[in-house]
Amino acid sequence: MLIVIPELDEEQVGNTVGRFRTIIERTGGEAGEPNHWGRRKLAYEIDHRTDGFYVIMEFTAGERTLVELKRILRVSDDVLRHTIVKLPPSYAHKPLPEPEEVTA
Amino acid sequence: MGKRREKPPRGGRPVKSKPCVFCKEDVAYVDYKDYNVLRRFVSDRGKIRARRVTSLCPQHQREAATSIKRAREMALLPYVVGR
Repeated sequence: MLIVIPELDEEQVGNTVGRFRTIIERTGGEAGEPNHWGRRKLAYEIDHRTDGFYVIMEFTAGERTLVELKRILRVSDDVLRHTIVKLPPSYAHKPLPEPEEVTA
Repeated sequence: MGKRREKPPRGGRPVKSKPCVFCKEDVAYVDYKDYNVLRRFVSDRGKIRARRVTSLCPQHQREAATSIKRAREMALLPYVVGR
């Protein structure tokens, strides 16, 4: 899951996510379709921003994927926060809760 | 994963233990993205509720706690409310 800064528009968010997809694929992983939650209010302020674009993506990792991906996520200025979580093998793909839309 | 052990009655009627909600619904993985579910296990101050309040089994209480912490990191849940 990553939070992209709210200054971008939908298309730029898509480009940003696409960049990470290519990184995953280049390093021997397999990237699934990103799930865009859209613009959401943050529970607290991060860098004086009150909302951000939430994107969730499932992927499998190659040997170098995590090192590379983490490094690039950390230096990307348009990514506010990110987490990578290892999913249990029993993880079921269920529909996610409707994101709260923010008009800003 | 069964019910919580029956507590010995303390000065009154015996305490009926409620089964853990995650066990009841057969949840294998407490997801940090389900912040609305996790919201039930934090106080209105944003603190993680104690096991005796949530009546979760040890495994799920632990999983819920980690999920709440992950959700906090991603600003899905607040660290503190009202300050």
